[in-house]
Amino acid sequence: MINFKQVNCRLGEQNFCYDLQIQLGQVVAVMGASGSGKSTLLNLLAGFIQPQNDTAQILLGDERVDLLAPSQRPVTSLFQEHNLFAHMSAFNNLALGIRTSLKLTVDEIAQVDTALEQVGLKGLGSRLPKQLSGGQRQRVALGRALVRRKPLLLLDEPFSALDPALRQEMAALVKSLSQQHQLTVLLVTHEPRDALDLAETVVFIADGRVHWQGPSQDFLQQTDTHIKAYLGQSC
Amino acid sequence: MIKVASSRHWLWFSSLSFCLVLLPLLLAMGAFSSYLGQAQWLTYMTDAYTWRVVWFSWWQACLSTVISLSAAVLVARALARRQSFVGRWLLLRCFSVALVVPSIIAVFGIILLHGKYGYFNQFWLWLGGQPQSYVYGLTGILLAHVFFNLPLATRILLQRLDAINAETWRLSSQLGMTSVDLWRHIEWPHIKGVLPQLAALVFALCFTSFAIVMTLGGGPKATTIEVAIFQAIRFDFDIAKAVYLSLLQMGFCGFILWAGLRLGKPIDMFVSLETSAKNMRPDLKPMLGIVSDSVVLLLATLLVLLPLLAVVIAGINPAWADVLLDLRLWNAFGNSLWVALSSALLSLLMASGLLLAQRHWRKRYASAALAVEWMGSVILVVPPLVLATGLFIGLSPHVNVFAINLYIVVLVNALMGLPYMLRVLSVAYLKIGTDYDRLCSSLGVQGWHRLRHVEWPILRKPVGLALALVAAMSAGDLGVVALFGSPDIQTLPLLMYQRLGSYQSDAAGVTAVVLLGLCLVIFVILERLLGGSDD
Repeated sequence: MINFKQVNCRLGEQNFCYDLQIQLGQVVAVMGASGSGKSTLLNLLAGFIQPQNDTAQILLGDERVDLLAPSQRPVTSLFQEHNLFAHMSAFNNLALGIRTSLKLTVDEIAQVDTALEQVGLKGLGSRLPKQLSGGQRQRVALGRALVRRKPLLLLDEPFSALDPALRQEMAALVKSLSQQHQLTVLLVTHEPRDALDLAETVVFIADGRVHWQGPSQDFLQQTDTHIKAYLGQSC
Repeated sequence: MIKVASSRHWLWFSSLSFCLVLLPLLLAMGAFSSYLGQAQWLTYMTDAYTWRVVWFSWWQACLSTVISLSAAVLVARALARRQSFVGRWLLLRCFSVALVVPSIIAVFGIILLHGKYGYFNQFWLWLGGQPQSYVYGLTGILLAHVFFNLPLATRILLQRLDAINAETWRLSSQLGMTSVDLWRHIEWPHIKGVLPQLAALVFALCFTSFAIVMTLGGGPKATTIEVAIFQAIRFDFDIAKAVYLSLLQMGFCGFILWAGLRLGKPIDMFVSLETSAKNMRPDLKPMLGIVSDSVVLLLATLLVLLPLLAVVIAGINPAWADVLLDLRLWNAFGNSLWVALSSALLSLLMASGLLLAQRHWRKRYASAALAVEWMGSVILVVPPLVLATGLFIGLSPHVNVFAINLYIVVLVNALMGLPYMLRVLSVAYLKIGTDYDRLCSSLGVQGWHRLRHVEWPILRKPVGLALALVAAMSAGDLGVVALFGSPDIQTLPLLMYQRLGSYQSDAAGVTAVVLLGLCLVIFVILERLLGGSDD
C-alpha cells in the first residue's frame, strides 16, 4: 500500500494537498486537467519536491519514503522526454540504472542485455538516442526502469509525444512488463483511452486534491461536474 | 510567387553600404600591394626579432586562452550549481560590465593593483617582503586578457549549463549521481561542443589585442605583431615592414578564423542569461563542493571587481577639480562621444544595408546572400591596426591623414563593429523577412509604415544592444586613435594613455573615471532607452 497522509505543498500560487491510498501491484491512472497537480503527486513521491508541512508522511507499507533521498526511494520515473543522455549509447543509458560510473561486471552487462531484449531493442544497444525513434527512446527508458528493480514505476505522460499506434504498442508493453515484474505503475495521462486500456484504478485530481478515486471502468460514467467538465461532456 | 518588394529603394541603400564596407578594405589592400615590390622580403623573413614577436603573439594568446577557458569552466560550473548564491547578481553584473570596459581602464586597474607601488605590493611590504615588479610583460598581459575573456567565456558556458533541462537533473538525482558523475555524464557533454569555437574566439581576441600589449608589454621581450606594426609606422617609419607584418597578421588571422569555422558554428557572444526555475541537483550538499564553489566565486568576483574598484578609488583624489576644469579633458570627452555615436550609427547603416540585401537575395540568389554573410567575417581577418595601417598608407599621399584622423577612426571602428552588429541583428532581421514579408505585401504595408509598425518594434531591442556595444567599444578604442593621434586631437583613451605614460597618476585616475563613466552611460542609455524595457 502506498499511503499519502496530509502531504501539502505550495508551488507558485497554488496549494496542493494529497490524502491517498493505493493498492500495490496494479496500474493506476492519474488524471485531471492541466495544472491540477497530477505531476506534482508523482514528483512528491519521487522526492523531486518536498512536502512543506511537518505532519506529512508518504509511506510504502510501513516505511517512511518521504525521508529518503531521491536516489534511495523505491521508484523509477519516466518523463515525457529527456529520459536519455543524448551522447550516450542505449546500452550505457540503461547501464546508468545499475551503476552511474558505468563500470559494470559481466553479470551486470548480461542484465542490461536482457533488459534491452525485454523492451524489444535487442541488437540496438550501441545506437545513440538520435538514431532511435521516439518510441524506441521510451523503450530504452523502460529498460532502465527494469534494471533498477524498483517496485514503483512513475510514468509522467510518457506516450504523449507518440503516434496513436505507437502509443497502444507502448501501453501494451508497459502492461506486460508490470505484470511480469510485479510493478506498481502510476501513470499520468490525458487520454481516457489509456486509463481504460491500461489501468485498474483511476485517481482524478482537481485543484490540487484527490477528487475521485475508483475502478477505471466506472470513471467514464461519473456524473460529477468536475469529471464531466474534464471529459468534455455537458452537465 | 508574390512580388515581395514593390520598390527598389533598398537597392540604393544596400549599394551604399557595400561601398562603405568595401572601399576602405580595397583601398587598404591596394596600398599594401603597391609596397609588395619594395619590401625586402629576405631581410624580414630572416629577422630574429620579427620571429620572436610572432612567437610571443602565439604564446601569449595560447596561454591567455587556456587560462581564461579553464577558469571559466570552474566559474560557470560554480555559478550553475549555486543558483541561490547571494553574490550571483553582482558577479553577473560585473561580468556584463567587463564586456564594455575600455582596455586602457582595465590596464590602469591592473597596474594600480599589481604595479610596483600597487595595493598587492604594499600589502606584501607590510608583511615584510620586498616590492616585486611583475606586472609589465607576460604576467600583466595575461592578467588583462583573463580580466576580459573570463567573463565572456563564463557567460557563454553558463548559458549552456543553464539550458540543461529539469528532467535531466531529476533523472540524475534519482540515479544517485555524484558530483563526478554529473560532470562526466551531464555537464561536460553539454559544454564540450561549444569549447573549440569559444577557444578560437578568445584566441583571436588575444592574438590581435593591441592596447593591452602596448601598455603592459611593448618591450622587445613582450611584443605582438599588432604592436610591432604600430611601432614600425610610428617609431621606425618603416612602412614596408609594417606592410610585411600586416600581411603576416592577416595570414594568421585568416588561419584562426578558418580553423574556428572548421571547428563548428559561430557562437553567440551576447547571450542573455535568464535563470530558469531552480534546478534540483544531487550534489549541492557536500561540504567540499560548497567550499570550492565559494572560493572560485570569490576569486572570480575579486578578479573583475578589484581592478574596477581600484580605478574608481584612484579617481577620488585632490586633482579632480583641476582635471575637470581642464578644457583638454572636455575636448577629448566631446571627441570620444562623437566617435562613439558616429561609429555606432555608421556601423548600423552598413549592417542594415548588408542585411537588407541578404534578405532580398536569399530567395533567388543564395550565393549572393552567402557573400554578404562572408563580408562580415572578412573584417575579422583584417585586425583594426592592419586596416588603419592600410588606410594610413593609402591616404597619406593624397590627404593630410592627421587632419582627418577622427573620421578615419570612426570609419575603422564602424568596420570593426560590423561583425558584432551583424551577429546581433541578423536573426531578427531575417526573421522579419520570412515571417512578415508576405503578410506586409498582402496588406500593402510598406515604406515608412512598415518601418514604423513592423520593423522597429521587432528590431529595437537588438538594434539597441548592437548600437550600445559598438558605441561603448569605440569610445574606449585605443589602437586606431594611437596610430593617427596628433597632439591637437585627443580622445579620452588617448589622454588617459599619455597621462599614464607620464606618471600623472592623479590626473590619470580622474580621466579614467570619466572614461569609464562615459562608456557605461553610453551603453546603458542606448541599450535601455533604445531597446525598451524587458517586458
